[in-house]
Amino acid sequence: MAFVRLLVMLLAVLTVVYFCVSIYSRMARREKLEREFELERLSDPSISPAEKDEFVKRGMVDYDGSLRKRLILLVYVVPLAVIGTIIYTVNHM
Amino acid sequence: MAFYLKWLFWGSLATILAGFLYYTLPQTDVVRVVETEVRRVDLGGENTLFWSQPDAGQAVNDTRDVFFIQTELPNGRPMVYRNEDTGWGWPPYFKFDTANLQTQASALRTRDIDDQRWAAIRHYGVRIPYLSIYPNAVTIRAVDGPDVRIIPWIAIICWILVISFIWFVTARWLRFKRRYISPRVDRADAWYDDKTGRFSRWVDTWRSKPRS
Repeated sequence: MAFVRLLVMLLAVLTVVYFCVSIYSRMARREKLEREFELERLSDPSISPAEKDEFVKRGMVDYDGSLRKRLILLVYVVPLAVIGTIIYTVNHM
Repeated sequence: MAFYLKWLFWGSLATILAGFLYYTLPQTDVVRVVETEVRRVDLGGENTLFWSQPDAGQAVNDTRDVFFIQTELPNGRPMVYRNEDTGWGWPPYFKFDTANLQTQASALRTRDIDDQRWAAIRHYGVRIPYLSIYPNAVTIRAVDGPDVRIIPWIAIICWILVISFIWFVTARWLRFKRRYISPRVDRADAWYDDKTGRFSRWVDTWRSKPRS
């Protein structure tokens, strides 16, 4: 029963962390794309500011398929792996 | 005044956090195991917080038997450890092998006063005799002598992780505050000044005007 309680609480906390990290990561990526766009416009003044939305949208679609986004799943993997390692080293070594 | 209160607040918070980490993170002592025993303890007193839980899978009662490992530190002073499961609870040592650990400790017990059998006990917690608080032994292994060098990697890594986490959150928070909160506060401030300016001007209209 204690095990189930730990598992449920851990998964709840990790899910919250997962969502916070993914929202933060999206936000950071969006800001980076906006900066990139402004830089490009600085070097090539013929680009119109109206293209910004399209540019950012394309960048975010790329982000959605990226390894970087999938790496956020490590939020679940790392703690569970650490727990597994601790259980093994404490009880079997 | 506000300056001192601020430091008092953050200082106590830092002290509590440091004490918590010091209590929770593993430390290793090199000792001679003098004796191992089982003693009944009654829970529910002032030191309840500092006992762990019954062996995993057993019922929780107000009284139970607890393993103890009585040792001597290299400087000759006594050190007594309790040996309890932490199970799936806090702190997260996931220790279920209490009975095995007690057996290992008994195997390393010194047979007489000159017996130079040394053991490294990894434990968490502190010994506070005034409240009968004992550190909880986590693992034990034989070592060559009292001068063996043990580097507390786990504690070092955890300290680094905690400090970098605090640094990360503080940096983000300060940036967020600078970008989003301060401008709004400034604007609200200006708005308030503007309003109160108008209000006092309006109040002024009720004052008797100087007759010309």
